[in-house]
Amino acid sequence: MRRFATALAVAALMTGSVVTAQSATAAQTAHDTTVYTVPAPAPAQQKVQALDCHGTTGAMGCGPGWFWRDGWRGWACYPC
Amino acid sequence: MLTSARIVKTACAFAIVAVAATIGGFGSAAAQPGDYSTLPVDPNLITDSLAYTAAPLDINPGGQPGVTAEYTHREGGTREITTTILILADAEAATASVAGAAAEVANAQTQPAAVGIGGTMVSGTSPDGTQSVTVLTFTQGNAATTIEFDGPPNDPVPADMVIELGQKQDTAIKDWQQA
Repeated sequence: MRRFATALAVAALMTGSVVTAQSATAAQTAHDTTVYTVPAPAPAQQKVQALDCHGTTGAMGCGPGWFWRDGWRGWACYPC
Repeated sequence: MLTSARIVKTACAFAIVAVAATIGGFGSAAAQPGDYSTLPVDPNLITDSLAYTAAPLDINPGGQPGVTAEYTHREGGTREITTTILILADAEAATASVAGAAAEVANAQTQPAAVGIGGTMVSGTSPDGTQSVTVLTFTQGNAATTIEFDGPPNDPVPADMVIELGQKQDTAIKDWQQA
């Protein structure tokens, strides 16, 4: 009798686990009709690296966007 | 006591002579009427101080009282600044004198310039299109001034440089007139 009860308890435990497992995955395995929209990737930010007219970071301390040359004011920084 | 008085008198006499000599010296250094050689402002004052070479001044150009100064840029002579200052009978004659100064500028764009009286800046090209041309005109009393900037077609003179040189030239003319 004791053996029978033990076997029954074990069987009940195993059955319960299996049933529970099935119900836990029921929602996941059901056919999902929701249409998910994947957000479009953000437009790539154009990285601007300011350079002088020669493609470097500037000569004579002129800085980006300026160009060291002999112009109307003599040797000086002029806009590109 | 007598010696001290003499020393004081002598010192006073020297001081008077020194003051008189100083004032006389300043007087003789001032511009003489009809001396236009000190009128033009060298553009090197607003550049790196070596960019332009001045040609000999043309005093009384075309028989008209005044002066013409030409400054050539060292970079192959690709840039030239020509300043002409004419001294006329009165302000009306001066205004009339500068009226047609920029007539030969092609594709001309005219804008007022904060220089002297009636300052005007005309920018464009030479008639054949091979040069950029900017002409600044203004008057100051009976003085009529034209400053022409000739340069490469793709590198016209910056407007701020035109204004800066013009204002310095205007100041020089006023100083000359008051001397």
